Parts: sequence; structure tokens; C-alpha cells
Amino acid sequence: MKLFGRLAWAVVAILAAFCLGGIALRRGEPINSIWLVVAAACTYAIGFRFYAKFIAARVMVLNDKRATPAERLRDGLDFEPTNKWIVFGHHFAAIAGPGPLVGPVLAAQFGYLPGTLWIIIGAVLGGAVQDFVILFASVRRDGKSLGQMAREEIGKIGGFIALLTVLLIMIILLAVVALVVVNALKGSPWGTFTIAATMPIALFMGIYLRYWRPGRVLECSTIGFALVIASIFGGRSVAASATWGPVFSLGALGLAIAVVLYGFAASVLPVWLFLAPRDYLSTFVKLGVVVALAVGILFVRPELQLPAFTRFVDGTGPIFAGKVFPFCFITIACGAVSGFHALISSGTTPKMIAKESHVFPVGYGSMLMESFVAIMAMIAACVLQPGVYFAVNSPAGVVGTTPAVAVATISGWGFPVSVSDMSHLASSVGEQTLFYRTGGAPSLALGMAAIFARGGGGEAVLGFWYHFAIMFEALFILTIIAAGTRVGRFMLHDLVAQASTRAHKPAGMTGVVVATIVIVAAWGYFLIQGVRDPLGGINSLWPLFGISNQLLASVALCVATTILLKMHGPKYLWITCVPLAWLVTVTFTASWQKIFSSDPYLGFLAQADKLAAGPQNATTAALIFNAQLDAVVCGVLALLVAIILLDSLRVWYGLLRGTRDARVTESPFVVSQLQAEEI
Amino acid sequence: MRRFGRLLLALLRELADQNAYQRHLTMHGRKHSAAEWRHFCEQRLRAKYARPKCC
Repeated sequence: MKLFGRLAWAVVAILAAFCLGGIALRRGEPINSIWLVVAAACTYAIGFRFYAKFIAARVMVLNDKRATPAERLRDGLDFEPTNKWIVFGHHFAAIAGPGPLVGPVLAAQFGYLPGTLWIIIGAVLGGAVQDFVILFASVRRDGKSLGQMAREEIGKIGGFIALLTVLLIMIILLAVVALVVVNALKGSPWGTFTIAATMPIALFMGIYLRYWRPGRVLECSTIGFALVIASIFGGRSVAASATWGPVFSLGALGLAIAVVLYGFAASVLPVWLFLAPRDYLSTFVKLGVVVALAVGILFVRPELQLPAFTRFVDGTGPIFAGKVFPFCFITIACGAVSGFHALISSGTTPKMIAKESHVFPVGYGSMLMESFVAIMAMIAACVLQPGVYFAVNSPAGVVGTTPAVAVATISGWGFPVSVSDMSHLASSVGEQTLFYRTGGAPSLALGMAAIFARGGGGEAVLGFWYHFAIMFEALFILTIIAAGTRVGRFMLHDLVAQASTRAHKPAGMTGVVVATIVIVAAWGYFLIQGVRDPLGGINSLWPLFGISNQLLASVALCVATTILLKMHGPKYLWITCVPLAWLVTVTFTASWQKIFSSDPYLGFLAQADKLAAGPQNATTAALIFNAQLDAVVCGVLALLVAIILLDSLRVWYGLLRGTRDARVTESPFVVSQLQAEEI
Repeated sequence: MRRFGRLLLALLRELADQNAYQRHLTMHGRKHSAAEWRHFCEQRLRAKYARPKCC
């Protein structure tokens, strides 16, 4: 490296350290969001330039002379050598879901500092490494999936458990994201109308693409986007209408049932008619909003109103129970370390990689980009006044069932807020109330709306931007629900096929409907449980989701560690073992506390015991059963991962002692014939 | 700037499956038609929605 380059990188490193120090040590006065942006950007740059490059050069020994599966197995559909920036965008669009947006908003209850540090450090040393290594491993193995690699590298048990874990995570994920939508739309005719309008818009797009202008996806998505924007404007009139307002003003239970019915219908309808056009639209809106939010934050540079730490680091937080360790680290999964990414890194992306060196920016770089999205979500949450943030996100069961009691409770914590403040805010965004909107989406929408409105238009456009943000979140969450239910159905079919000795046959229509009902019933049960939970549902379901996602990351890191061990012996084990050890510690501690803590607000079993000791009725009995069921689910997830971890340890022990075959199961070396102009 | 614009459009076309459709036409030596698009969609979407979407 030339002298100028060294000096430039030294400046970046000093800037990163200075900004990280600034956000960590500053107390007692609001801090500008630009500190977080610069700290994150500089740390990512250092991680990308030095750590990821070290892994690429020394550990993976990426070789552009080696033909990738995209070249060797080229079929013009899945396997196709593609420009690295296009693959980067494609991969980023695939990994960025609601997780990096909602998790940081919820974790802001500890203050901005713990979550921010975890997002930055976790991504650089853990999440991006996991995505990078799994993508590399899949590229060297003909684009094989995580489950296939687990089966080949660790054993049959590992493969089966990986599949089962993914199915369980899908069920928890679908329930929790559905709950986020329900809590964002309950009692909101404007929001509900806008989201309801996206259904006929998607059907229109499906028919347009199939029969009127086949293949014109971009053109059709532009029309769809214009119609969605029109529906946001129309939503204000609908909400104000004496006739239509009540029609679209649904309670939480009504909305939950509507989402369950939607999930069933959307996953059995032909994909071209509903799911695909909706997916195209939501992908473009998602990318557009992420870019707009980044520009908005850089342009407005808002100050963070939440402190670095709140009193709730001690585990008494109203949004979810548990101390900052381990719960901050499982609440923010996507954005720091997400096991789900391993499925994408071993799915479509490895089949598009043209040159091995592209694995480096795509695998590592995309995760850094997602981490930056999480930083932006943290900023959006922290620009709210702390009292408003807690009034929106706290359940009635914790802060009190009337607004007057709720503001008294929250003000008593040292975060002053008044009923009139909340009423004014609600009316300025076109809502009747913003109390008890647990789930993170409404507070994120408020933060985003505040940033966009300060960019131009002020309070007059606050309502539009709030509902635009709600539409953006609900649009892609509902797409995930439809696609996830469909995938869950396939997984169920696979699991039954693996468990049975009969030949694997494609499911007929009856099989499709039955499997869909099973999957919808599974996540729908958890959704209704969340809606009925007096503590808001998020307190139980989000930690379960975080634990399961991080456990999947542990599975992925077990596979990655096995591969590194076979390639280099113990020399580079620390690269994957450090994040693996951290995740195992965090997730097993969190699982243990969620099951066995004696605090009824935290531990599922203590919660069931407390309910059992009180007056009994049908509702109490259901709540007791739900708490016990959550404990069982949490225990099963931890047990499954403990099995795969022990199985991996057995394999690693054999490899280190030389009693096990250490041959790397990569596809054979073929010299690449790909010309530069082809990519 | 023009290069960035081209790259952005290419990304949008990739996300919209329009590039994959063009590759499908080239590979099979066929011309665009409504029936061909529907045939492509059947294959493409079946595989696409058998994979989990990320959280």
C-alpha cells in the first residue's frame, strides 16, 4: 500500500475511533445522528478493506481463474454469471427485510448506545463474516443450500435439524411480523384502507403482466406504485368519511383474522396473479425508501432524543423484558447477525456469482449495507421524544389502560409526556390515537415521517409520510407472509418426505390446501396469542424470533467452522468460532432466562405459574397454555441447536485428531473461460 | 454518471426478472410473445417462491 493510501486509511480509522468514542462517552445532551452515521461508515470501511480482504486472500484464497457454478452450470435462468454490482443489489434486496428495521427500534428501549455498538461490531465481526463464508462455501459447492452443506459437512442429523429449525423459525417469523402489521393498523382506517387497496392493485398488476403487457414488469410496477401513492392520499378521505371510516377501522383481533385469511389465500393463489406482482412492487419500494431515508438523514442530520442508556438496561423495560445482556443481542438479529441470511447466501446469490472475487463485496459488503439500514432505523426511533417513544411502544398491560395513567407511568420513569402531546401528534399524522402501538412499526414510521417532513413540507405532510412509511412496512411484511406461508408448505412436504419411506411425490391440490392450512394455523395461532396477550405479544414473540434467528446463525457458523477446519486445520478457526461462541452464549442464556426466570414478566414458566395462582377463567387458561407452549418452543429450538453443536464438536474433534476424513467436498477445479465483457 | 444509470437500470431489470427473460429468449432462440412470457413465468416463479424470503 502506498504512503498516501496508508495515511488515508489511518484517517478513516482515527475518525471511526473518534466517532465511536464520541457516541459512547457523550452524556446528558442530545447527540447528532451524523456521529452514528460516520462511526458506522468508517468502521464498515475498515472491516471491509482489512478484515474481509484478509479472509478473502488468506483463508478463502479466492481465485478468479476458477470457474464458478454460474459459468459451469449456466442455464440462463438460475445459473447466470452476472455483474457484481447487480448481484450485490440483488443480494441486498433479498436479505433486507423488516428485521433490521423493527429490531433496532425495539432495542432502543435500552438507549441508543448498546444497540448501535452491537449493530456495528456484530455486523463487521459476525454477520458479514457468516454471510461471506457461507456464500463462498456455496459457490465452491455448485450453489448448494445450507441444509445440503450441513448434511455433507456435519452429517445427516445436521441436515435434518437445519431444515426443522428453518421451518420453526419461519412459523415464529410469520407470526411476529404479522403482529407488527396488526399493531400498526389497529384502529387506523387510513392505514388499513391503504393496505387493503394494495390487494386489488396487485391483482390488477398480475393481470396486466400476464395478458395486457406481458413481460413489462418495470412499467407495471411504476403504475402499481402510482396507484399505491394514490391510495395513501385516498386513505385520508376514507378515514374522515362517516360511512367508510368505521368499515376500515378494525380491532386487533379482526385484523389478525384478516391477515390469517390473507396468508392462506395469497399462498394458494397462482403466484403470477398476486404474489409475484406484489413482490416486485415491494422490492422496488423497499430499495427506494432505504435510499430516501439515507439521503433524508444525511440532509436533515436530526438529533437523537433518547439517551445513550436508559434505566431499562436492568431488565425492567416496558417493551420487552430482560437485561441488556443478552436481550439487546437477540432483539437485534438482522442488522448485526442473522441466520436467515445464510439461506440467501446459499440460495439464489451463489448461482449468479461470475468470479470468485465477487464473493467478497457481495457476501461481506451487502451485510454491511443491511447493518447501515439498522443504524438508520435506530436513528429514526431515537429522534422521537423518549416519552413519545415509550407511549407508542409500551403495552397497556404495563403502562396502564388509559392514556392518563399511561403518561403518568411513563413520566414517572423520567420521560415526560402528556396526553395533549400524544393527541396532537396523533391528529397530525391522521390517527385517533398512538398509544399502545407495540411492535416498532408505528414508532419507526413516526421517526421516518419526522425526518422526511423536516426535509420539506413540515407538519402539513407529516400524515402522508407516516402513512407512506406504514404502507412501506406493511407492504413487504405482507409479501413475506404470503411467500413464507408458501415456502413453509414446501418445507413441510420435504420434512414429511424425509421422515417417510415412501417415494417423494409432488403434492396434489388437496395436499397443497392441507399443508397451507397447517402452516397458516401454526403461525396464526401465535399471532392470535400475541394479539390476546395483555403484555402486547411482542414481549413474548420478538425474543422467540430473535433467539431462533440467532440459533440458525449458530447452525450456519457450525457449517462454516467445519469447512474452515477442513481447509486449514485450526489456524483460522477463530474467524467463525468467536462469533459462534458469542451467539451460543447469548442465545442459550436468553433461552434459559425466557424459560426459567423467576420473573413472571420475563420467564414463560413463571408467567404461567403466576397466572395459575390467580382467579381462573377460560382466558386465563388460554394464557397459561400459551406461556407453557412458548417455553416448549424455546426449549425445542435450543435443544435442536445443542444437538447440531454437539454433532459439530464431534466432527471437529475427529478432524483435529486426524481420525476423520478431512477432504474438502468442493466441486472440481475448472479453468474459467469467462470474458470480461460477458459480465 | 451514465454508467451508474445503466447499472441501476440493469439492477432494476434483474430484480424485475426482465433480464432473466431476455436470457431465456436468447438461450432458446425464441421471440417474445405473451405465451412465451407465461411459459417463462411458470418456471421462474415456481423456483423463486420455493425459497424462503429473508426477515
